[in-house]
Amino acid sequence: MGTDTPVIELRNVGKTYVTGDVQTPVLFDISFRIHRGEFVAIVGGSGSGKTTLLNIMGLLDRPTAGQVLVAGDEVGHLDELGRAEVRRERLGFIFQFHYLLPEFNVLENALMPCRIKGPAFQDRQEPRMRALLETVGLGEKLASRPSQLSGGQQQRVAVVRSLANNPALVLADEPTGNLDTRSGRVVFDLMRTLSRESGTTFVMVTHDDDFALEADRVIRIRDGRIEDSAAARSEAPPRLAAVGS
Amino acid sequence: MKLTFFTVSVALRHLRYGVGQSLLTIGVVAISVLLIVYLRTVIGGTQRSIVNNVTGTIPHIVLEPAERTPIGAWRLPGMPAGELYVGETVKLPRALDRIEDWRQWLPALEKDPDVTVVSPTVAGSAFLFRGSRRESVRVTGVIPERHDRIVNVEENLLEGRFLQMATGEVVLGTRLARDYGLRLRDKVRLVGPSGRALSVTVAGIYETGAGQLDDGQVFVTLRDGQSLLELGSAISNIGLRIGDIYQAEAIAQAMAPGVPFKVRSWISDNPNVFRTLGAQDQTINMVLVSTIIAAGFGIASILIMSVTGKFREIGILKAMGATPGEIQTIFVLEGFLLAVLGCLVGIPVGIALLNALSSIRAPGAGGRMTQVFNIQIDPGLLAFAAAVAITVGVVAAFFPARRAGGVDPMQVIRGS
Repeated sequence: MGTDTPVIELRNVGKTYVTGDVQTPVLFDISFRIHRGEFVAIVGGSGSGKTTLLNIMGLLDRPTAGQVLVAGDEVGHLDELGRAEVRRERLGFIFQFHYLLPEFNVLENALMPCRIKGPAFQDRQEPRMRALLETVGLGEKLASRPSQLSGGQQQRVAVVRSLANNPALVLADEPTGNLDTRSGRVVFDLMRTLSRESGTTFVMVTHDDDFALEADRVIRIRDGRIEDSAAARSEAPPRLAAVGS
Repeated sequence: MKLTFFTVSVALRHLRYGVGQSLLTIGVVAISVLLIVYLRTVIGGTQRSIVNNVTGTIPHIVLEPAERTPIGAWRLPGMPAGELYVGETVKLPRALDRIEDWRQWLPALEKDPDVTVVSPTVAGSAFLFRGSRRESVRVTGVIPERHDRIVNVEENLLEGRFLQMATGEVVLGTRLARDYGLRLRDKVRLVGPSGRALSVTVAGIYETGAGQLDDGQVFVTLRDGQSLLELGSAISNIGLRIGDIYQAEAIAQAMAPGVPFKVRSWISDNPNVFRTLGAQDQTINMVLVSTIIAAGFGIASILIMSVTGKFREIGILKAMGATPGEIQTIFVLEGFLLAVLGCLVGIPVGIALLNALSSIRAPGAGGRMTQVFNIQIDPGLLAFAAAVAITVGVVAAFFPARRAGGVDPMQVIRGS
């Protein structure tokens, strides 16, 4: 992809849930572009549709209107296998809960996306992931079970895991929502740092305004629409000064 | 099935991590495999013993003189036509208890691929005299080397010989010998129903353990039997032995239209034995089917629990790009591995148990120590039990696995 191709682009995306005869519109006419290296916060009240938006960006949900382009490729026509492949190759996920697999140790959990891609890929990524776990202060815990870690530590493993497949885009759904303020701050700073150092694009759904203010860009959602359209339509490249600084 | 590094390693890790559940399931599978192998072998052995006891001393199929069909009087030669005859159709007794033309039938019978032994036999009653003692006995005139393959006399000899029995010799059971105080080379007299007498020498004494053979039964050569019973060159019946004794009735029925004899099989002569064995088979099979179904439910329920408890982990794996097929493979593989491990436990334990059982000995006929259980471990049965267990394991795992494959990450990750 060219340097000016957005990592992800939404064009007039809408979503309506249909239950029997009842239609519940959740998202209306959402359009934005997010570029390489950006750290974007999506904020909004509960029920605003921000998680639905994130699920659509993560190819976990399908829009009922509009288009989603990942690295310039339209993904609306993809079947389940095709979408799984896009997630496997290009996306990373962090959720409110860590969802580490209890049967695997910290290093193995961090490498799980690589395990899905195959043993050769996993072997290539292992040194990098070891180093990343060291960086986030878990160097001593590589062989520990997830259950032996604190909540903050578990979420740090989840953050490292989201980078295992060298994704173009990491989607984080309230990654600090389940942590106390201090641990939440550690995890947020970690994401911010990793984004800067690796040039990986992060999109984070949060209801915490403090964190949102520290993002490169904030997309506010209210009642399924983008509130601050100017910010969303920003065609300007991201603050390049922030990248690699 | 997608057997990849990812699916295999996750399945193995699940089994190892949930070792308690795994062992429980392996135990259930092992027990059902054990039951299949153990019950089928023990019951099969018992049934074989029963059948051997029944058929060991009789031919599987007997060809006898045909019953004569009455002919209407009007069809007799020389009867005037166009007249009315009134009468009653009666079943005639067999006029001749003999087969005259048996020699011409032997080659054809021997060529029949189902038939392994053909033994022309003379049978009738006679009195056995020694001193003042006189008793009625059954006389069977045989060609020893043929008949020994129907009733195994030679192997059951206490003394003397049977296969080389010559004209003028008799071989008899131990009880009869004891009653008469007979030893080898003693002389006795046999007197046929029409008074024909024959002086014979005791050439062998046997004990089969079967009462009707050991008591009141004597064997002489075919020629001696024919002369004692005044049959000339005729015989009483032809005994056959066949490869698969359970096919006796079918073979007998297939044979009947082609021969001028009445054809009887051991099965039609012993319908109760056959019915009992069939009922026993059905009972055992029902027990086994129930066990297998229980094992299947065991595997299924444990995997359902496992899948339900892992919905969120499955969700995150799918979010990370694992395909439904891969997730499904993980759980089918778990069912398969649990079944295989169950077989690896159940089959050796079954074999060990059967070996222990087959080493039990108790005094049998003639005071010899014999096996109590007729145990023959059939590799085919072991393979069958393993195949059943593994099939059940995979089928039982399929439904929870499909459920796991269909997990929607969006639904489970938010914790709703």
